[in-house]
Amino acid sequence: MSNNFQLERERSSLSSFPDTKSLFSKLKSSLLPYTFLTPTLVVVTLFFFIPLVMVFILSFTNLDMTNFGILKWWQPANWTLDNYVKIFTNRFFPRILNNTLIYVSMTLIFFNVGMALVIALITTNINRRVGFAFRLIWLMCRLTPVVVYIMMWKALAGPAPMGVINKHILGPLGIGTGEYLLNTNPWLFIILVNGFIGASFGMIIFSSAIEAIPKDYMIASKVDGASTWQTIRYITIPMIRWPLLFVTTYQTLSLLTSFEQIMLLTDGGPGLYETEVWSLTAYHRAFTSYFGNTQWGYGSAWAVILVIIGIVMAIVYLRVFKFDELIQEPKIDQL
Amino acid sequence: MKASKSLLSIILIVILVMSFTAMALAQDLDIIPIKVRCRAKPPMEDWRGLNFLIAEQSLNADLEAVGDPRRVKVEIIQDNLDWGEYITEFVLGYGAGESPDIWLTGHEYIGTQAEAGRIIALDGIIEEFPIYNLVFDTLWDCTKYKGEIWGVPQDAEARPLYWNKTLLKKLGWSDGEIAALPGKIEKGEFTLYDMLETAKQAVDKGVVESGNGFWTRPKNGPDFTPFYYAFSGETIDPATGKLVFDKTAGLKYYGFFYDAAQKYGSMGCLGLDWSTAWHPGVTSKVLFWVGGTWQWAEWAEKFLKDLGGEAYMWENFGFGLIPAAEKGGKPNSLTHPLAYLVSSQCKYPDLAVALIAKVTNYGPNTRHAIASTHLGILKGQTEYKFYKGSRLLSEALYMLDYTTFLPNNPNWGPYSTVTYEALAAVVAGEFTSQEAVDFVVEGLNRELGDKVIIK
Repeated sequence: MSNNFQLERERSSLSSFPDTKSLFSKLKSSLLPYTFLTPTLVVVTLFFFIPLVMVFILSFTNLDMTNFGILKWWQPANWTLDNYVKIFTNRFFPRILNNTLIYVSMTLIFFNVGMALVIALITTNINRRVGFAFRLIWLMCRLTPVVVYIMMWKALAGPAPMGVINKHILGPLGIGTGEYLLNTNPWLFIILVNGFIGASFGMIIFSSAIEAIPKDYMIASKVDGASTWQTIRYITIPMIRWPLLFVTTYQTLSLLTSFEQIMLLTDGGPGLYETEVWSLTAYHRAFTSYFGNTQWGYGSAWAVILVIIGIVMAIVYLRVFKFDELIQEPKIDQL
Repeated sequence: MKASKSLLSIILIVILVMSFTAMALAQDLDIIPIKVRCRAKPPMEDWRGLNFLIAEQSLNADLEAVGDPRRVKVEIIQDNLDWGEYITEFVLGYGAGESPDIWLTGHEYIGTQAEAGRIIALDGIIEEFPIYNLVFDTLWDCTKYKGEIWGVPQDAEARPLYWNKTLLKKLGWSDGEIAALPGKIEKGEFTLYDMLETAKQAVDKGVVESGNGFWTRPKNGPDFTPFYYAFSGETIDPATGKLVFDKTAGLKYYGFFYDAAQKYGSMGCLGLDWSTAWHPGVTSKVLFWVGGTWQWAEWAEKFLKDLGGEAYMWENFGFGLIPAAEKGGKPNSLTHPLAYLVSSQCKYPDLAVALIAKVTNYGPNTRHAIASTHLGILKGQTEYKFYKGSRLLSEALYMLDYTTFLPNNPNWGPYSTVTYEALAAVVAGEFTSQEAVDFVVEGLNRELGDKVIIK
């Protein structure tokens, strides 16, 4: 009651200021948020929006190494759909699409979300210090520079007698003939290599989300006789739906566009397009070629389709996880 | 006292006059920075760039002698980038107005860069340096595009078929038979399929593992083109200058690689890293493989130094031409000369060409040839005292008589990518030879349209 009275007093005192000051104040308060947003807006415009528009335009041109500096790519007269026709009539298009689906779904299900959730659940249910230490160790893959990290994996997968796995695990067990494991099981290694890094992100997010669930719910469920699985299924998972949505969406988009580990590990091989994913194709077309015929326009077209796939996937996730409901104010606060 | 003061004044005046004269002379000198960009594998190919440091002194002495106030200051940028990145760097550097003055690259890039106006034609400039008359005429042909000369040849090589003598002996070959093999290849008595048969025997008898009978480079590159030529394939139409794909030759070419991988226990090399691919080749795990003469030095330095380097290689490895496809046919090899090109952003092309002339001489070129086991480019170079000191250069020289070249066409890049993808697919067993040809025809039509002639 006293609070309401104070508010009334403040309002009446504010209304006693001249109109001009009120206008300035209003202007200031309405512009202030934009002032804070300006640096971000400038950075996003310069380094994301403008390049995106350029890539979109380039995807309709045949800009490449041979006509760079000659072709006026910004003129609509030089725009065609040829690159898109080339992509969809490319004989390896289905394989690249399939590789991308395998790579994203397997890494996401088994590691970036699956393994991350398992680690988060385990490390939040054991001794706090041990759990923390375990998470810290798991973060090492993310902290290691990617080239060093890949070199370590190559050393692990190397042929006998140099390869660690061949020499110390498969050899003593009498499994295999000591081949280069990246040639015999490239997908397994690609998913493991990316998964170990990717799982650490979800692990941190999920751990903090689980730690934030009020203990009362857990205690109540135990009093009601719920098993561990039931507690996880009916309390933990529903309570971390928002982080689950975020990690799944973020990691899907991240995996769709990531290719550096694959490039360093197999470069799309060992066979023809065997582990070539969409983003790696865009990179290969736009930036690499033995004889230097890098095709920037064609590579851009591959990248544009990837952006469209990413946007569609994001919308699907937002619908599946009912994003609107998640961002609504808790019902308890509306009372 | 007065006399000594006058003497001192005179000395001071003389010193001042001399100082001003020296300063004036120094100010008249125009220091011209010349940026030289080379791709070179250290340490074998370092002379590609280092020769220019010696040339700088020599050229500056020449300029001084004729009273030219200009002096060059050479800046060398030299590393071992992949070709694709190397070309991209030049093109983007040119776009930013920062291209090197002298750019060393493969001759097949001349068409692209000339069309884009990034390099200058050298006719009219090179005539002033008679030393260029020493360069082999065939090598000049490589640097010609639309009738003009756009580059100065820097080196040449042969791409032989190598074999492991120890493994051939294990297979039952005598020393005499092994020694006679280069001659038999040269006469067309030992064909490509004879090689595959030998490779298969080696696999069947356990001399090498399956897949290791015959290897090529692990990725796209010039080494596959001689095989296409062996089956009478053409790459360029002399009349129109357009690229050519010959379906009949292509069918045989892809058939050969299909057979090699699927029937003769060979070609287990595609997709490997460079060192993973070459290491077994030179450590007695692969019977036949295709490489370049320049790799002789590289293998000796990188992989076989502990075993005795080049001496070990002479004892254990042999080499010859790429065999003919049919008995009595002509074997071949491929030369991929590098050439110094001059950027159109170079402000003093006459000085750039003068510098290149200094390194296009017996001494500098032989230094590079010996260190990197590349073949010489100059007439009479085989008679040069120091060139004769290299056994490999002397023994491989006859291959230049059988040499072929890549076409000098701006669209060679996409052509090469499509034809290599088909080759990788037949090696992987995903395409038959007919499917590979269909894929190439479809791909070339899609990528190049009327810029390629399908025969």
